[in-house]
Amino acid sequence: MIKIGIPRALLYYQYYPMWQTFFEELGAEVVVSPPTTQTVLSEGSSRVVAETCLPTKVFLGHVLSLVKKCDYIFIPAIRSVKSKTYNCSKFLGLPDMTKAVIPESPPILDIDIDVNKGKHELYQAIYKLGRRFTWNPFRVRRASIAAWQANLNYQQLLCNHSLTPPQAIERILDTPGVEPKTHSEYPIPMQATIAIIGHPYLLYDEHINYRLIHRLKQAQNKVLTPEMLTTEELESATARLVGRAKWTCEEEVVGAGGHYLRSGADGVIGITAFGCGPDSLMMDIVQRQAQTMTTPFMSLTLDEHTAEAGIVTRLEAFLDMIYRKKRKRICV
Amino acid sequence: MRLGLTHMGNIDVVAKAIANKLGIDLVMTPSASRRTLDLGVKYSPETVCFPFKLQLGNMIEALELGADTLVMPGDLGPCRMGYYHKVLEQILRELGYKFQMVTQKRGIIHMVKYLTNGASLGKIITAAHFALAKLKTLEELERVVYEIRAIEQDKGEATRIYREGIKAIDNAPDYRAIGQAKREYLQKLMRLPTITSPAPLKVGVTGEFFVVIDPFTNLDIEIELGKLGVEVRRHISIGEWVRLNPFVYALGLREKDKSHKAATPYLSRFVGGDGWQSVGEKILHARDWDGIVHLEPFGCLPEVMARNIMPSIKEGPPVLNIIYDEHTGKAGIITRLEAFVDMLHRKKRRQVALCV
Repeated sequence: MIKIGIPRALLYYQYYPMWQTFFEELGAEVVVSPPTTQTVLSEGSSRVVAETCLPTKVFLGHVLSLVKKCDYIFIPAIRSVKSKTYNCSKFLGLPDMTKAVIPESPPILDIDIDVNKGKHELYQAIYKLGRRFTWNPFRVRRASIAAWQANLNYQQLLCNHSLTPPQAIERILDTPGVEPKTHSEYPIPMQATIAIIGHPYLLYDEHINYRLIHRLKQAQNKVLTPEMLTTEELESATARLVGRAKWTCEEEVVGAGGHYLRSGADGVIGITAFGCGPDSLMMDIVQRQAQTMTTPFMSLTLDEHTAEAGIVTRLEAFLDMIYRKKRKRICV
Repeated sequence: MRLGLTHMGNIDVVAKAIANKLGIDLVMTPSASRRTLDLGVKYSPETVCFPFKLQLGNMIEALELGADTLVMPGDLGPCRMGYYHKVLEQILRELGYKFQMVTQKRGIIHMVKYLTNGASLGKIITAAHFALAKLKTLEELERVVYEIRAIEQDKGEATRIYREGIKAIDNAPDYRAIGQAKREYLQKLMRLPTITSPAPLKVGVTGEFFVVIDPFTNLDIEIELGKLGVEVRRHISIGEWVRLNPFVYALGLREKDKSHKAATPYLSRFVGGDGWQSVGEKILHARDWDGIVHLEPFGCLPEVMARNIMPSIKEGPPVLNIIYDEHTGKAGIITRLEAFVDMLHRKKRRQVALCV
């Protein structure tokens, strides 16, 4: 059986169920790299120039950990998933860059996804990928329909059940979760509602953000993430702040930020990676919006030198500020 | 409407020519200075790329001088530049300026119509043709200057004449005056006393468009290379950018198309900005360039991609990467250029020795 490696980084958090279904329908076995560790991160960083953003370094570390464990590595080049939006350069050139900096990697399965080019091109691209496994075009078609259905189910799980992507993937794969179910086990009233905005690959990689979500939950806070909002909510908030979105990932930052700053959260934490191009401008827009609102906002920038103590200190200070604010409001 | 202009290389000359012909009120800001940059850095987001900071500084200076309309193209592919106008507008409005930001949101035709006060199409084309003639002359002059700078006896003379030439072409009122200025300054350049030593090294300058084009941003890197006796080759220019000949496009004769084709084995996709071209030029000019100086602003997404891919290309000349931000100092760059040029000389001597 052909083994397909999928790195547990970048778009894994958004599309893994879809990819898995597609390849398994075509009779391949899917291998996912283990969760990020310090070794993964430092090995990935050692291959690229220093300014490359943290998630890309993590991604390359995951590719390195898959070397010799699979026959192919699946690295899509996702250009746009919505008309007239663009993705960051790192995503566009990801297969080429991986090939250049990791020459020992298994052959790369790449696919160009660009909906701006029209349906025909998109179907051709999917078919071209499927042809590596089967000669039968109908089988590719069946696999892609099943994959799309899996993606819709996944989105449903995220949105309706307020699950985070790792939890939703666990539920789909039916593996027991590692994280304790804070909601049911501790019936203590929540202290505050904190929204976290940013890209899924920063929010849910527990190694690079030092288990931020877990820490917030442990301190008895309700955590909101961009995936919990509906597309309409995200779109309307984006339109209010910047007009039409330019980046593919704009809604999870500007849209979610705009929405949570206005309603539903006592405080908003924006997470960016150092050197992230789109974020350098998008987070600025959210920050400017926060200055005109009363909702507290904190921006955390992550890179490979980020220390746990620094994150914890800032988080504690931020939470203290929010609690104080809430207490004051109750007294008044 | 008073249009504020932001600086980028020789684009002032072009804009002035068009504005004069069409009667647009253009606010001429002083060329970029330390103050421009300080203003930009003060109000910009911290990690945004260098061109944004300079543009912001330029715009503030233009607004101080009474401009009320600014131009910033948006949505230009997967580069941060397409997002500039949204953030620039917010920052400037928060600073209390009243202005209109013109982008091609409603199509490029609408934008041109708005900027030209609804001038007739014929008039616009005539004005654009005249401005492009100036640009073409400037770039021809520039190419000669690259050659002369490397071999002139009194270093700095060619640059002085070139600057006079820019002024003369800028002031030329018609085609005849442009031609005259061109002949005059070409002759002046040719008459400069030169040294007769072995052929100078040829070094290509490539990288991110804005940094390559703008001498203030790249700290006069071409002049510094000239001083070291190096002939500069550069294919990224405003002229190349606005070449409007449909045949050139259709046949893929532009440098851009050629370099994209050359880069395909290593980078087969457009990554935004000029990243693809930077990779391609290393392969395309493997034989005729002795070295490449690759310029980029700090954190530029496409160029970081290019820089990651470049070392895997086995053919091609050595590459020196220079990264610019507001803290870049000229002395540091000169030292690195000297070391790079020394290395190229040594490499060339060894090659010659091997051939003999």
